[in-house]
Amino acid sequence: MRIAPLFSLLPARADAPSLLFFFETDCPTCRLIAPYLNRLHEAGNVIGISQDSEGATAEFARQTGARFPVVVDRDWEISKAYDPQTVPALFLVSKDRVIEEAVVGFDKASLNHFAARFALAQEIAPEFDGNPASKPGCMSRHLEPIAGGPDAVLLETQPARASRIILDEAEDDYEYCMRAFGDALPVVPPTAARVERMLHGTVLSADALVAKIPPCYGAATVEKVAANAVMAGCEPRLLPVLISLVRAACDERFNLHGIQATTHFAAPLVILNGPLRKELGFTCAGNVFSNVARSNSTLGRAFQLMLTNIGGARPGEIDMSTQGNPGKFSWVIAENEEVSPWEPLHVERGLSAGGNGITLFGGDGVRGVSEHTARRGTVVLKAICATLATVWSWRVCLAPEALVVICPEHAATLRRDGFTKQQVREFLFANTGIPVRAYDDDDGGEGTQLRASYEEVVIGGERCYRKFRTPEAIQIVVAGGTAGKFSSVIGSWATGPRGSQMVTYPVE
Amino acid sequence: MKILINPMNESTAAAKPAAPRLDSLDGKRVVLLDISKPGGSVLLDRLEHHLRHRYQVAEVIREKKPTFAKPAPGSMIDRILAARPHAVIEGLAD
Repeated sequence: MRIAPLFSLLPARADAPSLLFFFETDCPTCRLIAPYLNRLHEAGNVIGISQDSEGATAEFARQTGARFPVVVDRDWEISKAYDPQTVPALFLVSKDRVIEEAVVGFDKASLNHFAARFALAQEIAPEFDGNPASKPGCMSRHLEPIAGGPDAVLLETQPARASRIILDEAEDDYEYCMRAFGDALPVVPPTAARVERMLHGTVLSADALVAKIPPCYGAATVEKVAANAVMAGCEPRLLPVLISLVRAACDERFNLHGIQATTHFAAPLVILNGPLRKELGFTCAGNVFSNVARSNSTLGRAFQLMLTNIGGARPGEIDMSTQGNPGKFSWVIAENEEVSPWEPLHVERGLSAGGNGITLFGGDGVRGVSEHTARRGTVVLKAICATLATVWSWRVCLAPEALVVICPEHAATLRRDGFTKQQVREFLFANTGIPVRAYDDDDGGEGTQLRASYEEVVIGGERCYRKFRTPEAIQIVVAGGTAGKFSSVIGSWATGPRGSQMVTYPVE
Repeated sequence: MKILINPMNESTAAAKPAAPRLDSLDGKRVVLLDISKPGGSVLLDRLEHHLRHRYQVAEVIREKKPTFAKPAPGSMIDRILAARPHAVIEGLAD
C-alpha cells in the first residue's frame, strides 16, 4: 500500500477518489488521452499535473479541450514525489489518500476500468473510435537529465513563484475556489490579474519569503500572501499589514504551531494600534469584534486562510479543536486610542507612540461583562474580576492569562476615578481569586491537584486562592463604541515559554 | 481559460508507512514518552507495570516532554533514538 504524497490540490481527506493525470504538453500520447479524462471529470475528481510552463500548459488545455483543473508543476516537485517513469501517468487516489492504481501511457481498457470505478454507466473509450487500443508515452520530464537530473543547476535558480492553476471556462471558479481553498465560505478567485493588482500594494518582490507558517511550515511568499489576500477580499493597501502580521504570527514565542493544533478554543486575536487604524479604515469602535469594517474582516480572513492554506492547519486534520472558535474566520480589532485614558498597547509593549503596531494574543473567546449601574471604577473592576476568575477553568490558578477589553464608558469611569493602567491591572490582580471552599470537596476536578502551589489571600473577607501569577498576566486594551457599558474578557491558551506568549511587531 | 495563482502550500509531503509491528514484547526495549499532560503519567505508570510484569520487556525508558504545547526538543528525540528502542509508546492526551 502506498500513501499518496500530499500536494496543493490534493485534499488529505476527500469525499470521492481523485485521478491524477501527469502530462507533458508536447507528448502526443498525453494529447490523445486528455479528452477521455474530461468524461471522467464529469463523474469524479480529475486533477491535471502539467510538467511544462504556464503558457504551454494553457495552450495544451485550449487545444485538447481539457475541462479539469490543472496545476503547473514547478520544478517537478509533485512529479518527483510520485515518480512516474513515463507520461501520461494516471494515479487513482482513494478518499483516504491511498494510491490504488497507477497506469502509464494510453490504454483504453484502463480508461474504461476507471470509468467503472467512477460509477459511469458506459465505457468512455469504445473499441472503434478511431484511436488505437493503446499507445506508449514519453519519459517523465523530471527524469530528463536537463530537468531533474544532476545537471539541473540552472533550473534550480528559478525564483520560488507560486504555480499556476488552469481552469476551464466552463468550471465555476467561485465554486472551485471555495471547495479547494476556502474557509467553507466563498472566496474571490485569485486570478493572475487580481493577484498582480494586489502585489502593487507592496514594494517587495513576489518571490520574497515572508515566513514559513506552522504547523506544516509552508512557505508564505509575498505572492502567496497576495493570493490569499485576494481570496479574502482585501484591498491592496492592506498587503503590507498582512505581511507584517504573518511575520509576527510566526515568531517562535507566539507558538502558532501549538495554537493551530490544539484541541483548545485558541485562535490568534490580532490587535492593531497606531495611525494605520484610521488611514486604512480599521474600526476600533462599535461592533469592534464583528462585521463592521471591511479592513478588519478581510485582513483577519486573509490571515486565517493562510493559516490553513499555507500553514496546513485544516480543521479535522491538524486543527483538532474540540469546539473551534468563530475567530478562526477572522479576528482583528483595533484599540480605541482616542477615548482611552492610557497609553496604547503597542507603546506599553515598547514601540514608538507615532508608529503602528500589531499584537497577537492566543485567545479563547469573548466573555461579556455588563456593568451599567456602578457609580465607581472599583465596582466596575470587581465585575470584571468575577469574569476573570472563570478564565481557562474556574479552579485553575496561576497558569492562565487574560486580555481585558475595556469599553469606552467603563474607561471614562476609571479615568474619572484616577486609575492608571497599571493600577487597573493591579486591582484586577489583587481582587481576582477563587474561594478556598471551592476546593474542599477534593473532587479531583481540573485545577484542584495543584492547589498546594497556589497563594492564599483574603479577598472581600473570604479566603481565596489568587487566580493569576502576576499583574502582568492581565493585558488591557480599550475598544468598542461609546454607548453601552459592556467590557469583555478573553482567556488565554497555555502561556509563558511553554505555551504561547503575546507578541507585538511594528508594521513596516 | 482562467489562470489562478496557487494560494496553497506547494511543498509535497511524502507519506511514510507505519513501522513494522513487533511480533512480541519479550526482551524488547520500550520508550514511554509522556507529553506532560495531566493524567498521562497515570496511564504510562500502569503501562510500564504491565510491560515489565506481564510482557517481560528487557527495559523501559521513560521520557517526558517539557510541554505538551510544543514539539519535543531535538535533544530529546536524539536521546530516544540513541537508546535504539524497539518501540516508542506516546501518551498523547489527558
